[in-house]
Amino acid sequence: MSGPTGPVPAVSLRQVTKRFPETRLDDEVVAVDALDLDIEDGEFFALLGPSGCGKTTTLRMVAGFEFPTSGSVHIHGEEMGHRPPDRRPVNTVFQSYALFPHMTVARNVAFGLEMRDVDRSEARRRVDEAIALVQLRGRGGAMPGDLSGGQQQRVALARAIVNRPKVLLLDEPLGALDLRLREAMQVELKQLQSMLGITFLHVTHDQEEALAMADRIGVMDAGRLVQVGTPAEVYERPRTRFVAEFLGDANLLTADVLDPSRVRLPDGTTARIATDRAAGSAVHLSLRPEQLDLVGPDEPVEHHLDSLEGTVARIGYFGSAIEYDVALDAGGPEVLVTARLGNSRGVVTREIGERVRMRWAPESATVLED
Amino acid sequence: MRATAPGGAPAALRSDLPRDGESPERAAARLAARRGALIALPPIATMTLLFVIPLAIVAVYSFATRGRTGRTVLGDWNIAAYARLGEPLVLEVVGRSLGYAVLTTAICLVIGYPFAYWLTTRPMRVRAVMIVLVMLPFWSNLLVRTYAWRVLLASDGPIPAAFAALGLGELRLLFTPFAVVLGLVYGYLPFMVLPLYAALERLDLRLVEAARDLGASGWEAFRHVTWPLSRPGVVAGSVLVMVPTFGAYVTPELLGGSRTTLVGSFVVRQFLSARDWPFGSALSMAILLLMLVATVVYFRLQEDRA
Repeated sequence: MSGPTGPVPAVSLRQVTKRFPETRLDDEVVAVDALDLDIEDGEFFALLGPSGCGKTTTLRMVAGFEFPTSGSVHIHGEEMGHRPPDRRPVNTVFQSYALFPHMTVARNVAFGLEMRDVDRSEARRRVDEAIALVQLRGRGGAMPGDLSGGQQQRVALARAIVNRPKVLLLDEPLGALDLRLREAMQVELKQLQSMLGITFLHVTHDQEEALAMADRIGVMDAGRLVQVGTPAEVYERPRTRFVAEFLGDANLLTADVLDPSRVRLPDGTTARIATDRAAGSAVHLSLRPEQLDLVGPDEPVEHHLDSLEGTVARIGYFGSAIEYDVALDAGGPEVLVTARLGNSRGVVTREIGERVRMRWAPESATVLED
Repeated sequence: MRATAPGGAPAALRSDLPRDGESPERAAARLAARRGALIALPPIATMTLLFVIPLAIVAVYSFATRGRTGRTVLGDWNIAAYARLGEPLVLEVVGRSLGYAVLTTAICLVIGYPFAYWLTTRPMRVRAVMIVLVMLPFWSNLLVRTYAWRVLLASDGPIPAAFAALGLGELRLLFTPFAVVLGLVYGYLPFMVLPLYAALERLDLRLVEAARDLGASGWEAFRHVTWPLSRPGVVAGSVLVMVPTFGAYVTPELLGGSRTTLVGSFVVRQFLSARDWPFGSALSMAILLLMLVATVVYFRLQEDRA
């Protein structure tokens, strides 16, 4: 075969579609729809999307718990076909861990090595190593039921990585932990991944988790991959309205394209923005609240910034930040644009009803495809 | 301050109010205990009346003497009846009963386990229907159902007839050990299926997936995960089948021959034909004890393995 000459991707999905029979009706549900995706070797890749978007089904097809209705799954260049999970070079960290409740921590971790007939002394060494790696030294004899959620999470991790899989699949691994523990585990997972050099495919609905950990994010919606890119790319340059709203907060403004570098805003002023949409078409702009800055209406407009005028309608105080919801002069009072200002020294606080001008750098606005 | 109950009675007469010098916690605990005893009273009374007292009568009779005419002489207490338990005939019948009970339990387990497992993979509605079907035989009397087997197995019945029609020769089924085991398995299979189903239904299927993910084949995943985690159901089902089949009376009596006498029939014979109530009572007590010990040992063994 010809094809690209670059390194072989760790995971490669080609036109993968999965349909499930709908039992109530004589119908089918398309869970994953013609998915194309390459995950590089050693990469931390996050599949991000709301529940029911097909991300878990995608992961399960890589693991071998489901088989694609059509399309192909390759792992390190090898076609997986209908190969069962026990014959794939991947391991999974399950949502809510799925630890064997009748086995000690050490036996849980040793299970994969036992199944693959790894030599006894070698297995013991690797189990000790894995348990130490997840900082559970001395807990090998404990039963999973006696451990806290965070510790169970670590056992699940050790049980998977002890097998040295080529790809580690993580299905919402942090979903059951409380916020503080989740943030600590994010850092640990990321460190572990760069230390081991294993490819991580991480499925999550938590956008902050994906942004904080992943090298690249694939945003999924309704069985399709909507956008793939680095965290900065998908956050700062969302392609669609769905991506803009799913990752963080976004102000969506309607605008008309004037030419490839300018649009007309609701109040008739123009904003500079690069777009390949035809002149005259109505588009949506995405503006992140933290990219907006508030000044008094009388301050001179700096020529390298674009701006909109309005009245402060609501104020939200969040400690580290203050959010101002501003009603635009044009487009009706129901159009509120949110500006999030860091609560740093010297920030000018505004009152409800105060006239303000919101300013942003042209490159921080994005034209959405829909 | 002395509280006075609404009726005007002094607080000391009202047991639901704290007694002098009693902490509120203690008072609450005392009330809870009293309420618990009240709720438990009807079942305790029923059990005492219908179970403990008859059993005590059997125990008393086992130490009595058989009069010359077969009347039981109360008084003159002795353990002669227990001394006869070592007789070869008794050992033979008990041994045979144990063999039938173990065989029946094993067959029920082999049939019931796959069925219960299959059931857990069905949609909820199918399961509900199947569970009702499993329990359906209980809606008619065991005696009637056992007579139905007699008709089916009789030498002029449909099964031997079908056998003969296929040119496979004459088939004698009724009054054979085969008929007894068939009848016992038929009668007690639901007692195996239901606890197994309950145990398997609780099993988290993700654990099986986790085992497969870690390199276990389907068989290995079953051996290391499904089987050990369903063992409580296996234990419960086995005890529920083994204990009643050991003492079964109707099935071996109707489907078995003279060479398949089991303890149930043997005990009945002591009371009715031999008119030896003390010996029958001693036998009953011994069987009870044997089953109790066997069950406890069985539970212990399973606990140790888990």
